[in-house]
Amino acid sequence: MANTRTPVTGRKVQLMATCLCDAFYDDVARATVEVLEHLGCEIEFPEGQTCCGQPAFNSGDWDASRKIMRHTVKTFSGDAPVVIPSGSCAAMLFHGAPLEFEKQPDAPEVQALADRTWELADFIVNGLGITQWEGRLDANVAFHRACHTRGTESGPAALQLLGSIPGLKIAAFGEAEQCCGFGGTFSVAFPHISGSMGRLKLEHVMETHPDFLVSGDMSCLMHLSGLANKEGKPLQIRHIAQVLRDALIQAP
Amino acid sequence: MAHQKIDTYAATLNPEVRQAVRSNSAAGTEKRYEVLGSDFGNPDPLRKLAGAIKQHTIEHLDQYLEQAERSLTANGVKVHFAVSTQDARQAVLDILQQTGCRKVVKSKSMISEEIHLNDFLEENGVESVETDLGEYIIQIDHDHPSHIVKPILHKNRRDIAKSFEREGLGDYNDDPETITRRARAFLRQKYLQADAAVTGANFVVAESGRMVLVTNEGNSRFCLAGTRVHIALIGVEKLVPHDRDLAVFLNLLARSATGQQLTVYTEFLSGAALPAQPSGPREMHVVFVDNGRVDTLASNCREILRCIRCGACMNVCPVYRQASGHAYRSVYPGPLGAVLSPMLAGKGFAQLGDLPKASSLCGACNEVCPVDIPIPDLLLKLRNRAKEEHLPSPGSPPMGGFALLATAPMLWRTAMHAGIALDLTPKGLIPVPALQEWLKIRTLPAWRGGKFRSWYKNRPAQGKDRQP
Amino acid sequence: MSHRDQIFQGIRQAITALPERAAYPDYDTAAVTTPRWLPAAEENETLFRKRLTGTGGFFFESPADCAAWLKKDGAKSVYLAPEVAHLAADFAAHLEVVPAYTRDAVDRIDAAVTVAHGAIAESGTVILTDSGTPDRLAALAPWWHIAVVPRTGLVRTIGEAIAALPADPGIVWVTGPSKTADVEGILIQGVHGPGRQGSFFL
Ligand code: SF4
Repeated sequence: MANTRTPVTGRKVQLMATCLCDAFYDDVARATVEVLEHLGCEIEFPEGQTCCGQPAFNSGDWDASRKIMRHTVKTFSGDAPVVIPSGSCAAMLFHGAPLEFEKQPDAPEVQALADRTWELADFIVNGLGITQWEGRLDANVAFHRACHTRGTESGPAALQLLGSIPGLKIAAFGEAEQCCGFGGTFSVAFPHISGSMGRLKLEHVMETHPDFLVSGDMSCLMHLSGLANKEGKPLQIRHIAQVLRDALIQAP
Repeated sequence: MAHQKIDTYAATLNPEVRQAVRSNSAAGTEKRYEVLGSDFGNPDPLRKLAGAIKQHTIEHLDQYLEQAERSLTANGVKVHFAVSTQDARQAVLDILQQTGCRKVVKSKSMISEEIHLNDFLEENGVESVETDLGEYIIQIDHDHPSHIVKPILHKNRRDIAKSFEREGLGDYNDDPETITRRARAFLRQKYLQADAAVTGANFVVAESGRMVLVTNEGNSRFCLAGTRVHIALIGVEKLVPHDRDLAVFLNLLARSATGQQLTVYTEFLSGAALPAQPSGPREMHVVFVDNGRVDTLASNCREILRCIRCGACMNVCPVYRQASGHAYRSVYPGPLGAVLSPMLAGKGFAQLGDLPKASSLCGACNEVCPVDIPIPDLLLKLRNRAKEEHLPSPGSPPMGGFALLATAPMLWRTAMHAGIALDLTPKGLIPVPALQEWLKIRTLPAWRGGKFRSWYKNRPAQGKDRQP
Repeated sequence: MSHRDQIFQGIRQAITALPERAAYPDYDTAAVTTPRWLPAAEENETLFRKRLTGTGGFFFESPADCAAWLKKDGAKSVYLAPEVAHLAADFAAHLEVVPAYTRDAVDRIDAAVTVAHGAIAESGTVILTDSGTPDRLAALAPWWHIAVVPRTGLVRTIGEAIAALPADPGIVWVTGPSKTADVEGILIQGVHGPGRQGSFFL
């Protein structure tokens, strides 16, 4: 899976906050705004945004998913980059959507949106050209690369940014390439396998005793922290946007 | 709530088996990763090239199959074609009967598993013995392979020792070396007594008619040294255009399958043995088998026909590792099987229509596939097909209501606010499509629907001069 | 309609429906398939030895060395292919030399020395052909198989070996001893073929 992002010229961006941040993780969306504004971006937040349609897409209901995607295309009209604090939702826009629109008359509009879609870390590093982060954060973290960023620049970009923060240590853990087991509706249709996958990931992560687990995707983190909490072994989680923002705050 | 069959299978799997499958698959992934990394750094250019060669081949299959037929014929090979399972079995039986063969030794071939050849031959009075160690154990146990490269991944040495004892291959002894020696002693008699060898082929070169067969044990070589008739069952998609392409595929196949640079035995066959050669088949037959492949070529999942059966996708697959190969209820397990098995099933698609759901769509399979098959995309297309054919899908909430909600911003915002009282959460709202199921093993974070929007709207200052 | 025609008709229908068809990619075999560790300076002979040993195979400096090792490793009888019959004295010093290989000797003759068509340095592989091997069984059934490699037949890479595939109906590349890891992933050598695979140069 690879994405072709149109090079960034201006500082205007459109923010897609994701439904997960809309419903649960407002601070992640907020941190995304703060980080982007710190970098001088002018943010537009289209009020009409809802969800990228991935749940329907993944469940095979492409009719339903296309309806949602058409709504998204309409909502995010214009030509500014669309920045998303989620590798998974970004992949839905730049990869999933073109796939489900292959034979549709409005495929070109969908492709146009795909071409200006960026996952947050990828946008900062490869869109804006920022490879060193300011500030400081004294913490040991584990980084989970969300699976929907395979084959994209998001994983390396996130590690680049995190690795450049003074005070921050990233601990490597075993079987890092393995999925956390979330998988959207997979998590409830295959609860046994999903849970086992999650527990395995947690075992590896916990071995490094991180202050928190960082990812570019709240869906993985919601699943993993939900599992850990239920088992009475709470796990601190942070979105990369929160880490970047907190580094700016901690800095003297 | 009803769960998917594969999940139920995984939940009830013997923990010992799960552990064996998991650690063995993980070791396979590790070895593959190490060898490809140290040999090529980034193997992606090679994988993508191999994928492009195969994609080209299947999209010109009419030309290449015709060319292969000509080349094989010119090499003195008799070429047969079989459309269905039944046709393929019959073709083999006909050849055996015409050549007066009563005893067959078989080298591991997935296509013969597809058509359940052994049972059919036995029913027709032909002895058919599997010679790959793993496949032999599968045969005496009346079991099925659970992995396409490592068929007995699900068995341990104690299981095998018991089977050998039962078959009269000596007293109970579960030392792997002893097991192997006993099989060696027994099977070499079978090679020498057999009339015909049935094999598959990993590649057939259209321009030269060369068939390539790879094994580590040397069993296919022995099959082709002990017998007088060679029958190769080959899927029509196994072609590559040129001899030179073999360098690309052979450099990928063993590394992806077992982490070896090359398998121990790589055979290039282009006909019966030379007359001066005392051992080896006097005649060679190739049966090109369709069995659902042509329909697959006509479908939007044709990329799966690039597959070179290395098994890397199942080794890396977290679902396969938890569920084991038998959970897939078909000859091909894992990510490959989740696409190929329902495709090859043809009219039986509905029975295997749940297989493409058995994936978190993590994409690890695509990342390791030596021919870069976009397996997650194909799984998605098949999920869409299953939906359009109205197949039931336990555990997946209907998405129609969700689509209504997600295309009506006013309603969406109301729902976000309403969700603060969790009972009011619209049932279809992600990320908790089936809340109760979610909550059985996980907690849910506090509902903060709409909080971001109100913060964003109400914050005092905006722009770059604002202090974070 | 015959099965053949049915299959071809189906394939043609499937292919004609495609909006476009993938082209055959242009590529340079050496550029894409040469392992990055392949040392430019190392000679093929040195490389072959190293790689053969890496696969679990054995390399010998001379026929005499080979013969002594065979004896030490437990072999009692050895078959020498006609091309290496002139080495009989070296082997007879340690082992019983058997002049002919026959089907009924499969379990009786411990070792066989045959001549390879060539070898691949980067993988430690020996290339055997039907025309060069007096009996397929001789190079397969004994516990010890020694493939004598003519220096002139040594190529560097798998790509070069593919480019130079001889016109022979039964070529086999042998890379180390016969192996399996079917039982619990444990590596066992000598499943159906030789448990010991060795070479020396000629
Ligand atoms: S789909 Fe790819 S990875 Fe899986 S067996 Fe086939 S070639 Fe190997």
